[in-house]
Amino acid sequence: MTIDQDRFDALFPASCETGRRCIIRAVDVRKIYRMGKLETHALRGVTVDIVEGEYLSIMGPSGSGKSTLFNMIGGLAKPSSGKVYIDQVDIAHLDHNELAWLRCRKIGYVFQNYNLIQVMTCLENVMLPMSFAGLDGEEARDKAMYILKLVGLGGRPLHKPAELSGGQQQRCALARALANSPDIVLADEPTANLDVRTGGEMIELFARLRDELGVTIITATHDLKMLRRSDRILWIEDGRIVRSAKPGEVDFGSGEFH
Amino acid sequence: MATSSIQRQVRLPASVAFGVVMQGIRIRLGRALVTLMGVVLGIAFLMSILTGQTIRQGVAREAEARAEVKRMMSFLTAEIGPVEGRALGVVALGPLNDLEQRLLTELRNCKASRLQWSGPLPPGLPSGFVQPAAGRAVGQGAAALLVMGAGAPDDASWKEWLAGAEQPVAAVTRRTSRAPAGAICLAREWQPDELRARAEEARRLKFRTGWIIVISLLVSVIGISNAMLMSVTERFREIGTMKCLGALSQFIRQVFFIEAGLMGLIGSAAGCLFGVVFAAAAYSLSFGTSLVLASLSPGTLLLHSALCIGAGLVLSIVAAIYPAGVASRMVPATALRSTV
Repeated sequence: MTIDQDRFDALFPASCETGRRCIIRAVDVRKIYRMGKLETHALRGVTVDIVEGEYLSIMGPSGSGKSTLFNMIGGLAKPSSGKVYIDQVDIAHLDHNELAWLRCRKIGYVFQNYNLIQVMTCLENVMLPMSFAGLDGEEARDKAMYILKLVGLGGRPLHKPAELSGGQQQRCALARALANSPDIVLADEPTANLDVRTGGEMIELFARLRDELGVTIITATHDLKMLRRSDRILWIEDGRIVRSAKPGEVDFGSGEFH
Repeated sequence: MATSSIQRQVRLPASVAFGVVMQGIRIRLGRALVTLMGVVLGIAFLMSILTGQTIRQGVAREAEARAEVKRMMSFLTAEIGPVEGRALGVVALGPLNDLEQRLLTELRNCKASRLQWSGPLPPGLPSGFVQPAAGRAVGQGAAALLVMGAGAPDDASWKEWLAGAEQPVAAVTRRTSRAPAGAICLAREWQPDELRARAEEARRLKFRTGWIIVISLLVSVIGISNAMLMSVTERFREIGTMKCLGALSQFIRQVFFIEAGLMGLIGSAAGCLFGVVFAAAAYSLSFGTSLVLASLSPGTLLLHSALCIGAGLVLSIVAAIYPAGVASRMVPATALRSTV
């Protein structure tokens, strides 16, 4: 799929604002869940640009639409209206095959409840997305082991998720997200189940990924340490982005924006 | 111009899906066994019905043959008196059928002294009892002359055979032999109304077993599809995760079909075994082991096993069509939300 860059820039001038590529762009994204006659507006028009290599944190009370926004910009669900561009491609135009490729190679997901495959070992969990990408055998094993070491789980590759602590499962989930060297890592509350020390390590790891590899990090979090390290913080409430700020502009004492 | 980097996801070989299936089965062995039991029970039911039918038919045939031999014996003894201690001449015109063999055994059981034999010797009888006749006069000194096998001997043969007989009684076991006047025919003559009744009975039996087989198939379908559906619903989250990691719908479908095929194959093989053993054991209680074993021919068993395994395999795969479709169409986000 080819795109006319001039037209794209004319359409979305913001993508050149920082001089970096806009890797995810959501334009007036709305999502309505219908349960029988009940309609729930999870997102009421969210527009956001996320540039390559950005470390973005999203805050918001539960039920504010954070997870829905995550699913939308991660290509896990389609918006009811509005557009989502990932790497300048409207994901509504992708068929299931291309979407699968996108989820496999482009984006690494770390879910709040890890969603590790319980019947597989840590190593197999990390190797699974590699096998979906066509990487198999020794090469995949080596790479998976390397990534597990990177997240500090090199010592227990053959344990099942049930045999690991919450923090270790979280690391395993992160290792799996990094399996295919994604451009974007989407992490939903990645430090929520970690103790302070491992949480700090996780944050450092995210920062390293951004600084050294240029990975775009998008997290939903309430962890102050994490918020401080991020480039930008979005506050989402009732399906709308109510504030966007740099960490310096936020008074972390009260948890409110200035 | 910038080229977007979105590509198409590679299609994985079936071996990868097979690996995932094997892993799932190995780890969730308990759950897999429950699924398997659904298949095993359904197919065991079907197989036991089929085997039971075979046994019943075999036993009925056996009982009829025994009754028929008794009748032939009583015909013979009515004519010549008890055979105990007496010799009989036998001419075998060709290979003997089951009834004729049984009649010979019955003669031995009734303590006939010996058979003066002409023609190919029958298997399974001691040589002291069956003695090749000296010359053509088979009936010499015999209580009666039995002519067995298919064929139409001429009058001269009959005369030679009966020369020097104790009493010139000839008996034929088949309708076709050109018997001399006064010869008795041991073969049964079926009356038209008897034939009609037998045909009617056979038709009724066929209908009844057909009906039972349909019901047992229904039981299998329900058991198997329920098992397959369960194994999908309990894995919604896992499927969603796999999709998030880049699994194609086709891959998910493959996983379910391979699993269904494996379950169907293993389950129906085990079900066949259980069905046969159960039916044989149950009928042994009423008919006795030897009669039941005798009525089970390996050929029929093999045919029924193939039928049942085929049915199990097809039913499992058909039962997986709907769940596999549901699983493969699932939107990843929805699958992850489910808390089953």
